[in-house]
Amino acid sequence: MDKKKAIDETEPGVAPSRAVDRFGFIKSEQSNSPDGIPKGKSIHEREREEKRIRKWRKMIGVGGSDWKHYVRRNPHVVKRRIRKGIPDCLRGLVWQLISGSRDLLLMNPGVYETLVIYETSASELEIIRDISRTFPSHIFFQQRHGPGQRSLYNILKAYSVYDRDVGYVQGMGFLAGLLLLYMSEEDAFWLLVALLKGAVHAPMEGLYQAGLPLVQQYLSQFEKLVMEHMPKLGQHFVEEMINPSMYASQWFITVFSYSFPFHLTLRVWDVFLYEGIKVVFQVGLALLRFCHDDLVKLPFEKLLHALRNFPEEATDPDVLLPIAFTFKVSSRLEDLKKEYQKRLEGTSETSSSKRHQPLISKTMSRVGSRVISNLTADKK
Amino acid sequence: MAANAGNKIRNAKLVLLGDVGAGKSSLVFRFVKGQFVEFQESTIGAAFFSQTLAVNDETVKFEIWDTAGQERYHSLAPMYYRGAAAAIVVYDITNPASFTRAKKWVQELQAQGNPNTIVALAGNKADMLDARQVPAEEAKTYAQENGLFFMETSAKTAINVNDIFYEIAKRLLQGQQDPSPQAGMVLNQRPNERMVSSSSCCS
Repeated sequence: MDKKKAIDETEPGVAPSRAVDRFGFIKSEQSNSPDGIPKGKSIHEREREEKRIRKWRKMIGVGGSDWKHYVRRNPHVVKRRIRKGIPDCLRGLVWQLISGSRDLLLMNPGVYETLVIYETSASELEIIRDISRTFPSHIFFQQRHGPGQRSLYNILKAYSVYDRDVGYVQGMGFLAGLLLLYMSEEDAFWLLVALLKGAVHAPMEGLYQAGLPLVQQYLSQFEKLVMEHMPKLGQHFVEEMINPSMYASQWFITVFSYSFPFHLTLRVWDVFLYEGIKVVFQVGLALLRFCHDDLVKLPFEKLLHALRNFPEEATDPDVLLPIAFTFKVSSRLEDLKKEYQKRLEGTSETSSSKRHQPLISKTMSRVGSRVISNLTADKK
Repeated sequence: MAANAGNKIRNAKLVLLGDVGAGKSSLVFRFVKGQFVEFQESTIGAAFFSQTLAVNDETVKFEIWDTAGQERYHSLAPMYYRGAAAAIVVYDITNPASFTRAKKWVQELQAQGNPNTIVALAGNKADMLDARQVPAEEAKTYAQENGLFFMETSAKTAINVNDIFYEIAKRLLQGQQDPSPQAGMVLNQRPNERMVSSSSCCS
């Protein structure tokens, strides 16, 4: 929410000089929210942080050379450490390693450049219209036609060429923008490809395909999970006629990169890239659990407001993530997905149901084969 | 704009529809918060706001759904316009494509929406007269032919922003007093907020 506030006009070509938080978001005057770092770290804390970084460096090896080996031998250690948060200075590299994007990059030399320079996209105007509306309060993306906006444009255009069926869809910009804060344009592009085409986890392009089939599926699964884990709240939602698409569609479409505190977004992404989409469900459930006793008392309008403006304590990753991990959802998500697909097939046998079929990557073979030689090479 | 105490408050669901970048969120922001932001973050999914408006001795409380403009998000829109008492279809006077898109929304509302929904057409960015591409006359004629009411607005300078909401509120209340059986349907109700004055339910 705080990202949305108070931005005046920025003169084209002039970089604004205002106070920014440690992630580069311009501080709004009225906001005194912490940016995830306690003020004045003690020496002890700093030493602990340095020790943590050393451990991570050892785990990764030079330029990521030891990573795969380490993951194979100690998957649980890796999982535990990632859940505690990847050190910010290594985040960009580690994200590329755990998402499988590094392999895509190496397998497709020169492809990104071709997409950016030589191809044209039907979505170019649409992309341009949204560029200054993606993280508008971040210093990197604020300068009109500055390096941040140019890179963002390039990635989105390249993707819209790479998969012309999906093209450009609002929401992608937040994924790309987030990635660009941690890696180069080309690296960010391949990470986007890895996510949407499914290098390590199930492909997520259904979030953006016509009819938003995967959004619909996730929302349906989420609604069921809420009912199962918090029946009283689930019932309250039914009575107040609140359905998850009213508050949770952005959670899935942008993987919490839209209107959430940035330090929470990053910690969610650490886990998301390693463990997959289930963490979005877990974090969603954790937010509801944290505010449960308030939410069950609120009527429609206040309820909606609360679901879109979680209190600061609720969005502290060190509080929220431990709650999130108490929800065991993996196998239930599988069942619910099957139920959902069955229901879809049952309700309509017409051509429209084909479009809504989630998770099946139809474009994969067609578009993918052109540039990706072996996407599943790095399957864990 | 604040509600006077003791008034009957009527809840009305209102939805904003229109092309990407037409200024839907900016209109809502201006109306609800009295602010304007040059680079408004794109709306993903939909956003919810509420605002009350006093009309004579009555008060309308708008429950406003601000939707994402991109065509791809179209499939989410029916949920927001179904059962809406009012809709504002927004286009950008400097962008003819957005006017074409607005017409499509009007058609869809006429075909799929509630016949009692009050539909307003807003030609936004009216402060940018030098860049105008959609003549006001053209939009006005279109609005008349289709039973909409039309205003050119500017979220930036606040021209006509409160007015368009005020006009909707007025028409909603007029519809309420109308004794015809469907009149009650224009206002959205949930079970716990049922209005004494109306009987039927929608959506």
